[in-house]
Amino acid sequence: MSAALPIPVIQLLQVLTIAIGAPGVTGVIAKVEARLQGRRGPRVRQPYYDLAKLFRKEALAPAGASWFFLAAPLVAVTSYLTIPLLIPVLTTYGLPLGYMGDILGGGFLLSLASFVIATAALETGSPYAQLGSSRAKTFSAITEPVVLFVVFTVALLTGTDLPYALAATVRSSAGQIIRPAHLLAAAALFMVILLETGRIPVETHTGTNEFGMIEEARSFEHSGPFLALIRWGSELKQLILYTILADVFLAPWGLASTQHLGSVILAIVALLAKACAVGCVVAVIDNSFAKLRLFKITEFAAGAFLLAVLGVFTLYLGGG
Amino acid sequence: MSGVQAPGVYEGAANVIAAGMLLLEFGMLRQALVRDQIRLYMAQSALISVLAIVIAADRNLPDLYALAALSAALKVVAVPLVLRRLLRRVGLDDEEETVGVAGSNTLSPATAVLAGIVLAAFGFFCFGALGIHGPAAPALALALAAAMVLVSFGLMIVRRDVASQAVGFFSLENAISLAALVVASGLPFILETGFLFDLLVAVVVFGMLIRAHHSRAESLSTADLTKLQG
Repeated sequence: MSAALPIPVIQLLQVLTIAIGAPGVTGVIAKVEARLQGRRGPRVRQPYYDLAKLFRKEALAPAGASWFFLAAPLVAVTSYLTIPLLIPVLTTYGLPLGYMGDILGGGFLLSLASFVIATAALETGSPYAQLGSSRAKTFSAITEPVVLFVVFTVALLTGTDLPYALAATVRSSAGQIIRPAHLLAAAALFMVILLETGRIPVETHTGTNEFGMIEEARSFEHSGPFLALIRWGSELKQLILYTILADVFLAPWGLASTQHLGSVILAIVALLAKACAVGCVVAVIDNSFAKLRLFKITEFAAGAFLLAVLGVFTLYLGGG
Repeated sequence: MSGVQAPGVYEGAANVIAAGMLLLEFGMLRQALVRDQIRLYMAQSALISVLAIVIAADRNLPDLYALAALSAALKVVAVPLVLRRLLRRVGLDDEEETVGVAGSNTLSPATAVLAGIVLAAFGFFCFGALGIHGPAAPALALALAAAMVLVSFGLMIVRRDVASQAVGFFSLENAISLAALVVASGLPFILETGFLFDLLVAVVVFGMLIRAHHSRAESLSTADLTKLQG
């Protein structure tokens, strides 16, 4: 085995893995989705080219928009890049900054990012952007209880609400995996992820019809590097949520338990493979279901809420 | 500090299957079309057979394998077949939904699910307070069965058509079978099959009810029954 990496380098690698891997995961999902539809699909590297192109372009802001409009994408991307410090991306052991926030801390950062983007969209005065941000806020208010109940489940399962602790609990025995509370919470989280990343039962990811848009509509007025930051931000958010699902709930294996270079590299590969696997499932769902009408999304959220609440109930009686 | 202890693989599996059955019950509650309800009922019945096999393997009760096979034959194959044939006879085909059955929900799906959650919580905590701990009984599976009983009652109450109410009643029977399996899995085989055949009586009665109601009211909706006729 080769040399051991210093802890700060591993911590940096967690952020870099998410930052650099995120567009790739989006590319893989787009490719798989196209293949399932019998198209050849864009290159897997296409999201990187898109970002590079947008970063080279001129940035414009609508008349009357204040500095906040331009600051919002920066704040959002900064929050997204902070979250990988808090969750187990590459290691089984907590890194020094890993304990500065718990699951709720990560949740707050995600909401902060979505809040600033929505506010920036409101500031543009463009009707579609405002429509999108209003819808996004409405539905995130509906999914908030689900997220809370998932956090309660985690807290009851582990006695703490640190993501590292849950991953360690899941790894500890098979009995921890085959228990209703864990499976229900994971399923509820998956439904929330579909909602938050704007995937098919909720929103057509690649659609161009403004009336069906929720998250996608918010970035209408941004351009150039700022649009690139927003795109990159939503790719980051997607990979972060997939990482939470895979590394904390479903498959916390393959993480590095030492500081050796080899195991860290293995962990990077494992993480991206797991994220792509989750992405493939999402692509299959994308292709096999129809988009829900806007007012049916509450039913979807009610389903997720049911799963999360049942998870807490089963734990409450003990033995769940 | 550690959280709630894991129950072990066997109990966990039994609990997961019971939780799956409860979720399917909720699915029936929110599903608008009768034929999809019947499909969910089939899945639920299949799950209870799987649970019987799990218990049989773990507790070493060979009787239960036979019970699982019998229950699968009856509930996954026979009852849905009879129900579908009945519905076809009263003109509720796959294409036409003429009989006022689609949308017989008196509550919107999201509201129905939330009401179901309240009912399930009531069942859960009542059974949690009772504190029944049998030798073969994961206490949780029993509480899940109680929740299922209440939710299927709720299903029968919020639906306005006879066919959905029949499906609700049959799934109520599933919930009771679940409780029986969990509490008294060592019950003599002949008694268990006796209970199983009670279901057939219920199917015949509901069949009669559906046909009688349809021939009299030209509809399956129980909304027509609220008027008094002298």
